[in-house]
Amino acid sequence: MAGTIIADTLTHSTAGSVTTDYVVNGSAKAWVNFNGTGTIAARDSFNVTSLDDNGTGNYDVNFTNAMGNADFSSQVTAGYSADTGRYGENLAYNASFATVGARNSSGTSVDNAGIAVTISGDLA
Amino acid sequence: MSTILVDNLTGKTSAGSITVTSEGGAATQSLQQGLIKVWASIKGTGTVSTRDSVNQSSVTDHGTGAYSSNFTSAMSNDDFVGSISNTLDDGVNSNGQSSCIENNSTDPEFTTTTARVVTENTAYNNNDSPYVGITVIGDLA
Repeated sequence: MAGTIIADTLTHSTAGSVTTDYVVNGSAKAWVNFNGTGTIAARDSFNVTSLDDNGTGNYDVNFTNAMGNADFSSQVTAGYSADTGRYGENLAYNASFATVGARNSSGTSVDNAGIAVTISGDLA
Repeated sequence: MSTILVDNLTGKTSAGSITVTSEGGAATQSLQQGLIKVWASIKGTGTVSTRDSVNQSSVTDHGTGAYSSNFTSAMSNDDFVGSISNTLDDGVNSNGQSSCIENNSTDPEFTTTTARVVTENTAYNNNDSPYVGITVIGDLA
């Protein structure tokens, strides 16, 4: 049988204390590493139910458990390649998904083989 | 207000899985999956060094604007999420306008023990950056 502990503070014997709101609020709420070329596919993820290919260099990351609002933070990093994209970008937020993209050094949207997305904020 | 004095948190049903209730109370999520597994603030100019870090054993200088963050405890696979940011402008060379994961072929250059990244200037050439921030999220071994 699993147990439940209700607490406001965690204290380590040497490393210090943290209030549990930092644990809840400070944890990433979703992350995904995916291949955005060809048939796009997640390599690994957390709280991501699916990915949508919206066209060249434009993707939706759909959450399993929705965020509480569309005011979350998203970090998008794209893999470097001499002939394709280099930079990730945030395009739009929704409580159920984040739209992200990738561009090359000319600012043109391009598919990218290594896109990393991390979502921080409040879950519903 | 309650305080727990503890050095280790371990799931009872599954050692690597502790759930926490969401801010809105509508869901639960894995504590372990949401935690940052590596972070580092790196001085990427001159003799490259680490200002502060968690779970980073060392940083490797691969030449101009190219670095590897080397992990103390390994990840379980190389499919983790690596995020990087760097200095926008040092006021001299428009240093480090942008940054990305180095990718010599088709996949990010990650291994279970390293994340290799690059920083670039406004001309999209590799350029050393004085402040490089790296975070890694994924599954620890």
